Amino acid sequence: MAEDKQAILSELENSVKTLRQEDAENATRRALAAGVSPVEAIEKGLARGIREVGEKFSRKEMFVVELIYAAEIMSSAIKILEPELKKSAEKRHVLAHVVLGTVAGDIHDIGKNLVRIMLEANGFEVHDVGKDAPTDKFVSTAKEVGATIVGASSLMTTTVMGQKQVGDALRAASINASYMIGGAAATEAWAKEIGAVYSGDAGSAVDAAKLLVGKGV
Amino acid sequence: MAKQMGFGTYGIKHLEVMGAHDADTIHTNSLYLLEHMGIKVVSDEGLALLKEAGAEVDEATRVARIPSYLVTEALKRCKRPVKMCARNPKNDFVLDGKHSYLCTDGTGLATIDLHTGERRPSTKQDVADSAKIVDYLEKANSYNPLVTPLEVPNHAHALHEFEAIFNNCEKHVTTGSTYQKEEAKYELKMAAAIVGGYKELKRRPIISCLTCTSSPMVLGRTTDAAIEYVRAGCPPMMMCMPLIGATSPMTVAGAVLVGNAQVLALMTVCQLAAPGAPVCYSTEPMAMDVQTGVFEGLYPAANLVRAAHVQMARHYKIPIFVGGWGSCSKLPDVQAGYEKTLSAMTYYLSGADITSGIGLLENWTVLSYEQLLIDYEIYTMIADMVKGFPVTDDSMALELIMKVGHEGHYLGQKHTLDHFREMWQPMVTDGTVYQAWKAGGSKSAVDHAREKAKEILKTHEVPPLPDDIKKELSVIVSDAEKNLPH
Repeated sequence: MAEDKQAILSELENSVKTLRQEDAENATRRALAAGVSPVEAIEKGLARGIREVGEKFSRKEMFVVELIYAAEIMSSAIKILEPELKKSAEKRHVLAHVVLGTVAGDIHDIGKNLVRIMLEANGFEVHDVGKDAPTDKFVSTAKEVGATIVGASSLMTTTVMGQKQVGDALRAASINASYMIGGAAATEAWAKEIGAVYSGDAGSAVDAAKLLVGKGV
Repeated sequence: MAKQMGFGTYGIKHLEVMGAHDADTIHTNSLYLLEHMGIKVVSDEGLALLKEAGAEVDEATRVARIPSYLVTEALKRCKRPVKMCARNPKNDFVLDGKHSYLCTDGTGLATIDLHTGERRPSTKQDVADSAKIVDYLEKANSYNPLVTPLEVPNHAHALHEFEAIFNNCEKHVTTGSTYQKEEAKYELKMAAAIVGGYKELKRRPIISCLTCTSSPMVLGRTTDAAIEYVRAGCPPMMMCMPLIGATSPMTVAGAVLVGNAQVLALMTVCQLAAPGAPVCYSTEPMAMDVQTGVFEGLYPAANLVRAAHVQMARHYKIPIFVGGWGSCSKLPDVQAGYEKTLSAMTYYLSGADITSGIGLLENWTVLSYEQLLIDYEIYTMIADMVKGFPVTDDSMALELIMKVGHEGHYLGQKHTLDHFREMWQPMVTDGTVYQAWKAGGSKSAVDHAREKAKEILKTHEVPPLPDDIKKELSVIVSDAEKNLPH
């Protein structure tokens, strides 16, 4: 039995790594039938797969399309696990809660979604406030989930001021979370000016987030 | 089979710079020139072949007036497709009028050193290095000596080029220009040594030669070399090189006419020497800076002449090798980029079977390794465009568009995953965002190309020739040094 379990976990990991959606879904069902806990299926199977895809993406060995597709596979597998996950007393090991969104006025969320995928793959629980998100939404969600990190993305120079507004609002509401920014309109200098941590791509956003929660390498 | 540019695979149409009636008129007037004015033939054998076939020859002036029927009959004997084989058969390709191919430019006398950036006389090592890079470049099909080595005995330079190429490149080889019969014989001997004899060479022609006619209206000694090549079954690229305003009329149509008539004359000689032999039309006109009188390769007029010659060759159903997407620039710079792109795009859109264009600056005289890779990048971009695109249920993705809906995106779709690898990808083009570009050392495409060239030379390995063949080639080169007239 133990061997079977191990084989299923490997298959979960490999099917995500090699972008085989049906195989991932089948392996997820087999995992449940074999008595693998949903948390274990995620942490020792699916998440390992997507972490590797994420690392390969950072090293330019895999493509953005592949990373996003791997994330789609992962979420379709998690959907299968969800009913069991809700029943189970076991909780996923969460590194930190992150609130993430694209600032008000900006509908560009592909980069923000990449950051979410990479953070989730690395053990962060991401609360996505979506695109064109009002400043209040960042603040209220951060309060609600007890966020350790808040991240705001802006692609357009016309909406980059939104990043300052989110930062100011977090401070005004005395929310004790680290503030990260990114997106094509953001720069290192701008981050400094508004008191935020800057990252230029999804890979470095994960590194920065890990540093902020004291898990940096 | 070698990588190819599938022109019009999906419905894109060729560019034609003349109406059908105008192309007919160029042809009729070419026949008229050959029959009434005649062409001067310096080659003894060429003149004898024409005379024997019925041309009216003036022995004193060496002018042969070629009756139209001789030209017309010779045209019927030209075969398409033309096979272009290679040292390694996986690199073989066929000029079939439906696909386009890439050859390097030739032949320079100086090199911009890859390491020092200095412009210096070119060497045999440059031939070896650039041949090795071409071996690495998947979509480059043929190597034409990018430079000639200046440190070897000049009268045997072509054989030294061959030796350096065959030891470093498994692709088809086109000579820089074969000027005389004896040289051609040695070149063919080397090629035969590699494939296992002359009979096999006829079956698998791994070399072809550039043979220039002279403007206006002369077939020079190079004709002898073309005759050797057709008899060996290796195709000559029958080239005309009118200098617009100097050796041809100042007008595009005049240059088209003179060039076309010369190519038809050489074609007729080749088909008389070896009926049915594979031959290619070839053109490399140059334009003049009318202020200074300096000849520049690629002013718009010269590009139009080339495109018109492509149209003539397609009209005759003979493959065409278009020479040079040159640039007058001294550096791999913006000027080199736009001159080369405009010319290459024009030739391939016109339907050129093969062009020689990558690697040289200063009107085909100076090798730049950086430019070689940048030009290759231009080619892969053109190749990606001119094939066109399919319009099918799968490619239109109607159902997918409805499924993704309003405001969604396609990044996570299986359809995207299935098709994204078809997207062109850069080798040296810088596509990074500003921050990443700055952090990476603010590199331009030229910097990337330099690094890539160094990397290829360091890591790419070409399977060596068997020892006995290697030795045989070296013996042939020594023989040629002793025996070629000098």
